[in-house]
Amino acid sequence: MDAHPNATVASEPTKVYSAQTKGGIASAVEDLWEGLKRGSIWRAFAWDEIQHRYRRSTLGLAWIVISYVIFVLAITLFFSGFSSMQSGGFVAYVAVGYAVFGFLIGNVTDGCVVFSGASTWIKSSSLPYSIYIYKSIARSFFPFIIQIATALVIMAFFGWRPHWSGLLAVPALAVFLLNAIWIQLFFGLIAARWRDVAHLVGALTRVLFFTTPILWVFEERTGIVRQVASINPLTHFLRIFRAPVLGDVVPLESWYHVASWTVGGWVVAIFLASIMRRRLPLWV
Amino acid sequence: MAYVSAENVSLVFPLYSRAQVQGMSSDAPHDDRLILANDGRVLGVKALENISFEAKSGDRLALIGKNGSGKTTLLQVLSGIIPPDEGCVNIRGRSTNLININLGMQVEASGHRNITLRGLAAGQSRDEIERRRQDIAEFSELGEFLDMPIETYSAGMRMRLNFAIATAFDPEILILDEWLSAGDAAFKAKATARMAEFVGKAGVLILASHSRKLLVENCNKAIWLEEGAIRATGDVGELFDAYDAETSRDSR
Repeated sequence: MDAHPNATVASEPTKVYSAQTKGGIASAVEDLWEGLKRGSIWRAFAWDEIQHRYRRSTLGLAWIVISYVIFVLAITLFFSGFSSMQSGGFVAYVAVGYAVFGFLIGNVTDGCVVFSGASTWIKSSSLPYSIYIYKSIARSFFPFIIQIATALVIMAFFGWRPHWSGLLAVPALAVFLLNAIWIQLFFGLIAARWRDVAHLVGALTRVLFFTTPILWVFEERTGIVRQVASINPLTHFLRIFRAPVLGDVVPLESWYHVASWTVGGWVVAIFLASIMRRRLPLWV
Repeated sequence: MAYVSAENVSLVFPLYSRAQVQGMSSDAPHDDRLILANDGRVLGVKALENISFEAKSGDRLALIGKNGSGKTTLLQVLSGIIPPDEGCVNIRGRSTNLININLGMQVEASGHRNITLRGLAAGQSRDEIERRRQDIAEFSELGEFLDMPIETYSAGMRMRLNFAIATAFDPEILILDEWLSAGDAAFKAKATARMAEFVGKAGVLILASHSRKLLVENCNKAIWLEEGAIRATGDVGELFDAYDAETSRDSR
């Protein structure tokens, strides 16, 4: 299934498939780039999967908004005692934090099945593997954006007003997407090779929900809780988006953490891809 | 000019200790396709060994061999899906493979939607897909079923749609696994006609099958695979008869 849009090309370059063609750093990077260029494929597939999830329900895509609103309102009702914040402030805090956490952790859990779930394709088509990654990210980014929009409406209802500093959340979104790629590549490869990874990740994400400042406020905590949260990368990823939206300043320390995770994650994921990618069709 | 060649292609399927042969060790006699550790764990299976051949424009190559002889694996290597451990494959021309009957089928989406998705996956533009839609619909003879989800289709209907899509975008190299023989006689005749037309346009056809009729009607040359290696090559009719004589003697 190789893509050659121009059917009239007479002399095409010879393609060579050998042990070298799918190994090495250059070919791992090329795979990511070739996949990115084929946006029409992964966008179409992502949209199809989003529709499929809600296809036979009466309310359809509205369920994204409904289930999110139910969760945010219920949590705020029960847990507003956790913080000394004004109730409106706490709703905003939880609403934004929960959506961001869901998107970031979703990339880890989706990442564990990004290749194994595409096994029919991987075993019978020679499309770049990164297509499945971009499809998976697009599929979770769509509900995330809807949730953020819903959060802003809820917040406005509680008296929140937009401010110019909120625009600083836009680069944070770009950073999220940049990280989503290596996260899915990394977890996709190791979970395809070692099936235990998906189970381990499932167990850890439940713990992470409580050790990440979503239902409680980082600045109000001291001692061990604060220490654990400050080495938890999610704390910092959450902050670079949530703080500007809520009109707070992002501590420089959080940007350092995010930058190191982004660079480190990319380096490790590309390295893994360079040695593991060749074997992928045999693992999934 | 379309061109396919394999040079000394070898491939081992790694098993990562998923299997252990009872009471077996690496020195005891065993099926020599299995690669064993000292304690009898199966490390891998030799799927292809030292395969070399060449096919040029107009060649119609049949792959003959028993189940497990490596036909599908070789097709996957030729399609660039699994890279070989040793040797290399050279491909010139747009290649389309139909190795898995369900490839790219989003079973919950309609037949028409699947034409779009498969077309995009083959690198076609949306305009090009719309231009070919009518042809695909006619060839597959699915009519109004194209508006229904694929999961309501029979295996034969899926195969018709898949074959129609795969051959609609003028491939230069067509790689087909044996499931084509699942079609009824009328569809097989139609598929044969389309493949002949395609090979007439200087394409290369590589077809794996157990059906003598299908192979003889569509192919001229043949490769006989046995335990992952080439046992013999030659004219398709003669080679199939030799293969058939031997396998039916074994089963007696």
